[in-house]
Amino acid sequence: MLPEQPVNMAGVVFRRWARALSNGNRSGISAFLLGNRAASGMTKDSLPGSYPKTPEERAAAAKKYNIRVEDYEPYPDRGEGFGDYPKLPERSQSERDPWYQWDHPDLRRNWGEPMHWDFDAYIRNRVDTSPSPVSWSSMSKQLFGFIGFMLLMFYLGEKFPSYQPVAPKQYPYNDLYLERGGDPDKQPEEVKHYEI
Amino acid sequence: MPSLHIILTTSFIITLVILISPVFTSILYKSLNPNWHTHHSKNAVKMAFFTSLLPLFLHLHTGTELTITNLHSMNIMTFDINTSFKLDHLSITFVPIALYVTWAILVFASWYMKSDPKFNQFFKFLLIFLIAMVTLVTANNMFQLFIGWEGVGIMSFLLIGWWWARADRNTAALQAVLYNRVGDVGLIFALGWMATNLNSWEMQLMFITAKSLDMNAPLIGLILAATGKSAQFGLHPWLPSAMEGPTPVSALLHSSTMVVAGIFLLVRLSPLMQDNPFALTTCLILGALTTLFTTICALTQNDIKKIIAFSTSSQLGLMMVTIGLNQPYLAFLHICTHAFFKAMLFLSSGVIIHALNNEQDIRKMGGLHYLIPTTTSWLTIGSLALMGTPFLAGFFSKDAIIVALNNSYLNAWALALTLLATSLTAAYSLRMIFFVNMNFPRFPALSPINENIKSITNPLKRLAWGTILAGLLMTCAVLPPKPPMLSMPPYIKLTALVITILGLTIALELALFTNKQRPYMPKQYFYFSTMLGYYPTIMHRFFPYTFLKLSQTIATMTIDQTWLEKTGPKTITSLNLSLATTTSNIQKGMIKTFLSLFFTTLMIIILLNYY
Repeated sequence: MLPEQPVNMAGVVFRRWARALSNGNRSGISAFLLGNRAASGMTKDSLPGSYPKTPEERAAAAKKYNIRVEDYEPYPDRGEGFGDYPKLPERSQSERDPWYQWDHPDLRRNWGEPMHWDFDAYIRNRVDTSPSPVSWSSMSKQLFGFIGFMLLMFYLGEKFPSYQPVAPKQYPYNDLYLERGGDPDKQPEEVKHYEI
Repeated sequence: MPSLHIILTTSFIITLVILISPVFTSILYKSLNPNWHTHHSKNAVKMAFFTSLLPLFLHLHTGTELTITNLHSMNIMTFDINTSFKLDHLSITFVPIALYVTWAILVFASWYMKSDPKFNQFFKFLLIFLIAMVTLVTANNMFQLFIGWEGVGIMSFLLIGWWWARADRNTAALQAVLYNRVGDVGLIFALGWMATNLNSWEMQLMFITAKSLDMNAPLIGLILAATGKSAQFGLHPWLPSAMEGPTPVSALLHSSTMVVAGIFLLVRLSPLMQDNPFALTTCLILGALTTLFTTICALTQNDIKKIIAFSTSSQLGLMMVTIGLNQPYLAFLHICTHAFFKAMLFLSSGVIIHALNNEQDIRKMGGLHYLIPTTTSWLTIGSLALMGTPFLAGFFSKDAIIVALNNSYLNAWALALTLLATSLTAAYSLRMIFFVNMNFPRFPALSPINENIKSITNPLKRLAWGTILAGLLMTCAVLPPKPPMLSMPPYIKLTALVITILGLTIALELALFTNKQRPYMPKQYFYFSTMLGYYPTIMHRFFPYTFLKLSQTIATMTIDQTWLEKTGPKTITSLNLSLATTTSNIQKGMIKTFLSLFFTTLMIIILLNYY
């Protein structure tokens, strides 16, 4: 058995890293610098492109977004910058089955599923589009009708408060003659609405 | 007795130090015992309670009130912000009550949250919340009050979202923060107005300088703040959603202490409001609408915690009505008595939930009166106190409020709504008791039903004593600042009792119908009640959707399209195009065009010559 040669382990490890990170086609330092890329992130093929005009482009776009060609429907090309991004139904994540074994259970989404353009509005913490037992128009009418009725009745309640007076108010000191700026030398007339 | 103020000051400062110390020791010192911090917090609150009894008894005996001003934080010319504590009747009475209720809740939580991995952190959060609440209550200037206000808001968010892995809980916590924020806008507006117009944030200075000013604007701001924090109609959905948090959190924050912060603010600043009929009418209307609306919502709920949450909201509406009647002391009395029986209701429901293996639906409970008799007795006592049964705690405050309402020359519709809400309170309380206590069990037989645990029985017993005696003690010990209504016809005095009994009787009749008549399709008003008046459905779907869509469209498309295309190249193109088309059309060689141009030029020259 041969005695083991002293090996610089750090050098071995560094060489392994350099080989993994470099591009195999090139050589030298440029392989290391230019070939340096991670395994994650978007490739040029998976980025959104321009609006698909031909059926082949549509098929390619559907494949890129992981949708069936029959389901793929891009946004209309009105200069808004959607490109070939698919127009998914406007349904919130709360409408999805809570008991299905999703890949991401809290998001109710599977890996690789196409994301809605406005997905951040449709997460479970935000807008909920699930159907309500009562129609929207009926709900609005009832709520705003209730509020309107209450406001009307409060207005009437202010106009006719509880304990309506049965006679005009009767003030002491000759109906507050002096306080209202009456002449102290003249004799005021009696004002009496009721007697106790 | 000489140097009373020194005794008062010292005991209050000691109370604060006892409360704050566990927070610091938990950072600096770690013990081998995993439950060390829990015991430390519980004992700290217990000792703080007993220490705070000293100022209370001094105050009850001699009427001592004082203001402690410590640190000068910011002093700009004539505008001072100091750390000052106001120990008047409100804070001296409220602090022991809050500490007593918190002590009971912490002991209960040591059993309820036993299996939680972050047990100690939960207690730390509750303690920090309590410190923020005490800061709010004892604040003598608006800045310190604002610090406490924000503190309780943040702790509420952290505690509601305690089990943060559930999306519904996150949504509930987010809802609480956002609705409170809307209310905070009102408070900040009031703070700004006071700083610029009254030139001070000290309470005493504000009350004097505000006498001659038109206070409509800041008072509306303060009422908005109270609407947000105390879940009045318009900003109320966060309170029922907050029931997603653990039961001790619901018992402490969302029934006894945090939600009364809004009402407390209005009580504290009541000298500003008492001469302003517009603000008082607003409070009255808002409170009456809240109390009726939330009572209607509570009638058809099936989750026991939601029923109690809506009853909290309804009682907060009643407190707002009392402020609208210009009776801040009665509102404060109701805050204190409400703390006891509402905390007891929540803790009893917590015992029931744990006993039935986390079952919260009342349709799946029943017959618990035979299985956990003590807990159900506490539930019943709490509900009776809520309804205003004579001589329990709720009676002294609630009856006084209704009597004051009946004798006031105010909005008749507010009176009608409050009376209706009082009778419906009895109805949903009976519904809850009927489903939980009476009849036969509707849950699986293998449930861990056990109430023979000291951590449950002792705190609930303490709260039960409070529920029974607190109203009596407070009414006997303290002379109210405003003279109460004493002379009225007997039918006015007995109104509250009669309508409560009426509500109870009708509810009992309806409950007895349920096993004799066929079930029917729910009508429209059933849906109105179950879906909480459609308010959350409409508000939480329409507004976020509209704003998010609008903001997204503007941010990503419209701005780019406008600035890069429409204001630049595209508009120039279209303008140029139209100009070029018109010009080339003119020069195509048509006689009509020539003649019209000729005459137009002629007219212009003639006009220019003559004018």
